[in-house]
Amino acid sequence: MMENAWLIPLFPFVSFVVLLVVGKQLKERSAYVGMLLTLLSLVFALGALYERWTSPTYKQAYTWLTIGDVDITVGFEVNALNALMLVVVSLVSFLVHTYAKGYMHGDERFPVFYAYLGLFTFAMLGLVVSPNLLQTYIFWELVGLGSFLLIGFYFYKEEAKAAAKKAFIMTRIGDVGLLIGMILLFLEVKSFEYEAIFAALQQGDVSTTIMTLSAILIFIGAIGKSGQFPLHTWLPDAMEGPTPVSALIHAATMVAAGVYLVATLFPLYEASEVAMTTVAYVGGFTAIFAASIGLVQTDIKRVLAYSTVSQLGYMMLALGSAGYVAGVFHLMTHAFFKALLFLAAGSVIHAVHTQNIEQMGGLWEKMKWTAPLFLIGTLAISGFPFFSGFFSKDEILIAAWTHGHVGLFVVAVIAAFFTAFYMFRLFFLVFAGEARTNVHNVHESPTVMVLPMIVLGVLAVVSGYVQTPWGAFLGEWLTEGTNWHAHTEGPSWIMIVATIVSLCGIALAWLIYGKRAIARDWLSSRFPLTYNVLMNKYYIDEFYGLTVIRAASFISLLFEYIDRFLVEGLAQLFAATARGVGRIGSRLQNGQVQMYGTVTIVALAILVVIFAVTGGYL
Amino acid sequence: MQPYFLSLLIFSPLLGILVLSLLSKEQEKAIKWLGVLATLPSLCLSLFAFWQYQNGYDISKLTEKRSWIQFGEFPFLKETDFTVAYELHVDGFALVMIVLTTILATLAAIASTSIQKEWKGYFQLFLLLEIGMLGVFAASNLVLFFIFFELTLIPMFFLIGKWGYFEKEKAAYSYLIYNGLGSAVLLIVIAVLFARTGTSNIAELRYILTNPAVQTISPISDDLRYGLFIALLVAFGVKLPIVPLHRWMLRVHVQAPPSVVMLHAGVLLKIGAFGLVRFAFGLFPGQFQQFSTSLIVFGIVNLLYGAFLALRQTDFKMVLAYSSVSHMGIVLIGLGSLNEAGVQGAIFQAVSHGFIAAFLFFFVGVMYERTRTTTLVRLGGLAKTMPYVSGFVLAGAMASLGLPGTSGFISEFMAFVGAFQAAPWLAAIGTLGIIMTAVYLLRAVLGMTFGQTTVSNVSDLRGIEWVPAISLLLLIVIIGVYPNVLAMPLQTTIETMMNGLGG
Repeated sequence: MMENAWLIPLFPFVSFVVLLVVGKQLKERSAYVGMLLTLLSLVFALGALYERWTSPTYKQAYTWLTIGDVDITVGFEVNALNALMLVVVSLVSFLVHTYAKGYMHGDERFPVFYAYLGLFTFAMLGLVVSPNLLQTYIFWELVGLGSFLLIGFYFYKEEAKAAAKKAFIMTRIGDVGLLIGMILLFLEVKSFEYEAIFAALQQGDVSTTIMTLSAILIFIGAIGKSGQFPLHTWLPDAMEGPTPVSALIHAATMVAAGVYLVATLFPLYEASEVAMTTVAYVGGFTAIFAASIGLVQTDIKRVLAYSTVSQLGYMMLALGSAGYVAGVFHLMTHAFFKALLFLAAGSVIHAVHTQNIEQMGGLWEKMKWTAPLFLIGTLAISGFPFFSGFFSKDEILIAAWTHGHVGLFVVAVIAAFFTAFYMFRLFFLVFAGEARTNVHNVHESPTVMVLPMIVLGVLAVVSGYVQTPWGAFLGEWLTEGTNWHAHTEGPSWIMIVATIVSLCGIALAWLIYGKRAIARDWLSSRFPLTYNVLMNKYYIDEFYGLTVIRAASFISLLFEYIDRFLVEGLAQLFAATARGVGRIGSRLQNGQVQMYGTVTIVALAILVVIFAVTGGYL
Repeated sequence: MQPYFLSLLIFSPLLGILVLSLLSKEQEKAIKWLGVLATLPSLCLSLFAFWQYQNGYDISKLTEKRSWIQFGEFPFLKETDFTVAYELHVDGFALVMIVLTTILATLAAIASTSIQKEWKGYFQLFLLLEIGMLGVFAASNLVLFFIFFELTLIPMFFLIGKWGYFEKEKAAYSYLIYNGLGSAVLLIVIAVLFARTGTSNIAELRYILTNPAVQTISPISDDLRYGLFIALLVAFGVKLPIVPLHRWMLRVHVQAPPSVVMLHAGVLLKIGAFGLVRFAFGLFPGQFQQFSTSLIVFGIVNLLYGAFLALRQTDFKMVLAYSSVSHMGIVLIGLGSLNEAGVQGAIFQAVSHGFIAAFLFFFVGVMYERTRTTTLVRLGGLAKTMPYVSGFVLAGAMASLGLPGTSGFISEFMAFVGAFQAAPWLAAIGTLGIIMTAVYLLRAVLGMTFGQTTVSNVSDLRGIEWVPAISLLLLIVIIGVYPNVLAMPLQTTIETMMNGLGG
């Protein structure tokens, strides 16, 4: 199965091409093409995972580009980390393909949507099987393309247009960091292969400066893709895309690519203490920063988006605290419960046709499936005991604590409290109480949408049990053949603290939004300034608008003036001189012999002088 | 057929010119078909040669040489001194450029079906232009090179001046004056070299100029070398163009008919790159080496200057014009890096930008034909009315901004690998260009295709228009997915160049 792993990304690509060509004829039957081909990917991915369980890493490479005497290769690889990722990605993709059949029903560009989904899935799976940095970068950019196309799917909406553009450009800023880091590493190691890079690191062939520099530059790429501070602003805006897309790309898979990249290059980060600390601090800061914004947002998808940013920060914090297993584990559980939350949110939006949680309420009665599934997702992300998020978040806290990042540990605990609070705020506002606006015809979504949610709901509960304090199956498998910790023994009070904090968050949300024992405008009336800052996302967008964008337009304007006046002016001056000389010349041609005689004699005199000075030969 | 192969390849459009002159002016359909048909022989021949070369055929066997002009007889000199032969020769690089030319010529001829008037004269000039371009790449002495170089100038002047848009005459004169001055400078270089060495054969000149041991008929001092090198830089800098010699090409981009711009941006600008590699680098490697950092700086100026200006343009043609300026910066950066990766990147960029620019300008023509405008704001929401055209334009923009999987990425990537090796700090500044390219292209393309629909009742891509659209996109993607298809033919050229440096 592993030697056929190259087929896994190829199936969705076939779907993309087929739907591009005959989608118009297939109409909504396009969904079956997409579903079937991603199902094939899933089957092959499961096969690869199963086989990798017992056999060693499989890798193949072919020459792709020759520069001088260096051969750059492409190929594919199945190792523990990417076998796991293959299954997660193809599974979520398949579920989203299924769900979207119901969600996108009736859309004019239905086949296009499925074609784009295919393109994205191809790129994401291609990213995961890449055995070298360059190939990773290639697919890294292609997932960006898929994300861009799907964010801009409702192209006629100005917001979608702006969001798509912003997503592409913000992530590209990060990508340039990745590109530079990658090239620097290549020039040092003379290879893009991960194996070669790690071997060079072990032998100490890479200078410390280059190592740290490229690790940090590559991390900038991860910051862009995974929506970490300060390049996070595109991710909440990306919610303009259709909700299944938000679930697949902007929650479960693509945004996790940054975490995946750092995990893949873990030996590089391990070798550089500075880079490692940077990762931890950026992650920790993002975790609490985004969670605090999530506390006050009123758009259901945006709350989830900030929660994604925050959770990705958690994963980075884990990796930066040497918690390789913790980071990857949380990546997996998060993929399941966040995809579930998004799909459930989509189901809600599908039913009530608004995204504003202020206008929802009382849906528990009306959506018999969606509501409990959303609750499962909420419990999982809040770290409620014995749900998947509980175990993975616990691993992260232990990693941060045992690595000695006490400050970051505290930050992570507070962020966990925020998470529990804003998620249950969301839950109570949407599902509890009475309907706040008279929305008619609220109905449960069709089966084709509910089924994928049920699968994810099950996974959101059980996927935590692969790595518990009592047995570290996942960790042992992932760290086989390395000296990384399969599981870090942490003090048991951490788990108790985490549980209490999460319960407190839930309780507070219940008091305010469920029981309404505390006034809802408690924060906004007491601390209007804090509230406004949070509501406006710390004014980061405004800040970029005033600085970066202003500067760019100023430079543009400046160049425009230079081009129009200086450059063109010089050219005109040149032309005018030529014209002037011509005019003088033509005035000399006035038909008078005396004038011609004068010119001849003057010219002769000049020639004599030149000959005398240069000695006869130029 | 070997001894005539290259001549046949270059002059086969002549047949079309002759047959066209027999047709009556009014036979629009026949003329258009014949115009396309006349480009096919050279296309087939060049593809055949390329295919043979890929399979290991030694293309130096195609070299042709016939005695042509002799300047008097000098008893004290060798017999071959001061003679100019009619000689043609191609290496991998030249062959790649020839294939680029023939492909774009055929596709531009297809795109020329939208030309509204005087088709006969148009296609005759068009074919003459093709002869000139092909000759430039195959000429193996400077005199012949110069003749072909000038041969591109004249038909282009008329093509712009007669079939262009509102300010066509101004653009045509501007083109002629800038390029005429460039040519004049080039002619001085050629004359000086010929006078001092007695030969104009490029290979011989390279041997003479790079071996200090060789005695020339009259001495060539270091100062003179610098002078000649800078003159070459100016002559080809006009063509490429290097900022601040770029103003003429903006006008051409905007005023010339899109089918002509396909050739202009696709091939003619690349003659600048070709000339820099062949002559500035080939004949004066020492001077080139000393100027290499300056070239990178020039390249970065081009890259950023073009990008920032493209950000402000309101007309899609102007966006593309400045984007060409910007992308030619990559050529300079690559060449200035003076290592395999950089030089290979520069040549890749020449080819890749040829395809991408032609691709995008093809769609400028398509859009203008239907909407009578290329102003960004007036085109909003095209994705609704012309989904295929919008999709292709977006694909073209993605290739242009260097998305992996397209040829644009490979060239940009290699150029930057080279630049980071040669001058990391400058290269780091240059990467700002990668971001800016995305910014201005997305602004322009999303401005046209996304948002509320403003133009209605226009038809999408139809009939023969699919041919250029699909073939160019395929070429762009093939190079992007399997770059060795282009890298292998270039290996010898690049090796030769690197050996010319010799430390």
